Amino acid sequence: MQATWSTRLGVQTPVSDDLEIIHRVLQGEIDCFAELIARYRQHVARIVTRHVPGDRVAEVAHDVFVRAYGGLAGFAGQAPFEHWLSSIAVRTCYHFWRAMRRQELPVSALTEEHHQWMEQVLAAESDDRFREQVKRREAAELSQWALSHLSAENRLVLTLLYLDGHSAREAAGLLGWSVAKVKVRAHRARQTLRKLLRDEWERKDDDTTQ
Amino acid sequence: MTRLSDEDLNKLERALAESHRSRQEPSLGADWVRHVMQDVRREAARPRQALLSAGIAYTVRQAAAVAAALALILVGSVLVYTGQDTVELAALLSEEFETGEPLVE
Repeated sequence: MQATWSTRLGVQTPVSDDLEIIHRVLQGEIDCFAELIARYRQHVARIVTRHVPGDRVAEVAHDVFVRAYGGLAGFAGQAPFEHWLSSIAVRTCYHFWRAMRRQELPVSALTEEHHQWMEQVLAAESDDRFREQVKRREAAELSQWALSHLSAENRLVLTLLYLDGHSAREAAGLLGWSVAKVKVRAHRARQTLRKLLRDEWERKDDDTTQ
Repeated sequence: MTRLSDEDLNKLERALAESHRSRQEPSLGADWVRHVMQDVRREAARPRQALLSAGIAYTVRQAAAVAAALALILVGSVLVYTGQDTVELAALLSEEFETGEPLVE
C-alpha cells in the first residue's frame, strides 16, 4: 500500500499505519486503540478546547475517543483518520452544548470591567495596545458570555467559521451539513452576536446616564 | 447615547476571535489515556449482545413493514380488479374463512 501522510499534526504519521491499527482493533486487538489515542489526543484536545469550557475539555475529549471506538467499523478509510476523528470531535462538542442547554445553566452577567474592556478595545489605536486587550481575562469572559446566548448549532458554526477560520465547505464536512445550511446558520449566528454586543453596549450607556 | 458603528463591531469581533484562538489546550497525559481505555474496553465487552438484539429487532421491524406494504398492495389490487366494494369483499373473505375445513390429522 502506498503511504500517504497526515501532516496537520506536529509529527508526520503515515495514514496507512493508522489503517493497520484500525484493522487490528476491529479484529479484536482492543489495546491497539491506545496507540490511536496517543497519536491524536492533542489534536482532539485542540479542537475541543475551541468549543467547550476549559474545565470540561478532558471529559469531552474522553467522550470523543469512546464514540470513535464505537463507530470505528463505519470508518471507510477513504479520508485520513484524523479528518474522521475531527468530525466526531466537533459533533461531540455539539452534543455537549445540546445537553448543557437542557440543563439551562444560568448565564453570568457582564460587569463594569467587561464594559471598560470594550471601550479600551475600541480606543486601542496601535496593534500593540489591541493585542494587550486581547490577552486580558475580560476578552475570554466576554467571548464565553456572547457564545452562551447562542443555540448549540449557531454556536458551533460561528466558532468553526469566524473563530477557527474554517471555510464553509470544511465546516460543512465536519458537521455533516450542506454548505448552504452552514452559510445561512453562520450569517444568523453572526447577526445575533453583533446584536448582543450592540445591545450590551447600549445597556451600559443607559446605566451610566441614569 | 453612543451607538456602535459597524466598524466598532468589527473591531470587537476581531478582538474576541483573537482571544478565542489564543486558548491553550490542556495536555492529556498517560492517566487520561488509561481512563479512556478502561471505557473503551467496557464498551467492547458490552455491545455484542445489545447489537445482536438491536439487529434482530431491526430485521423484524423491516419484515413487518414489508409485509404490511404487500398486504396493502394486495388488498388494493383485489379491490381494483374485482370492482367490488369493501363490504362485499370482507363478506366474501369471512365466508371463505368460515367455510374452511379445519385441519385434521
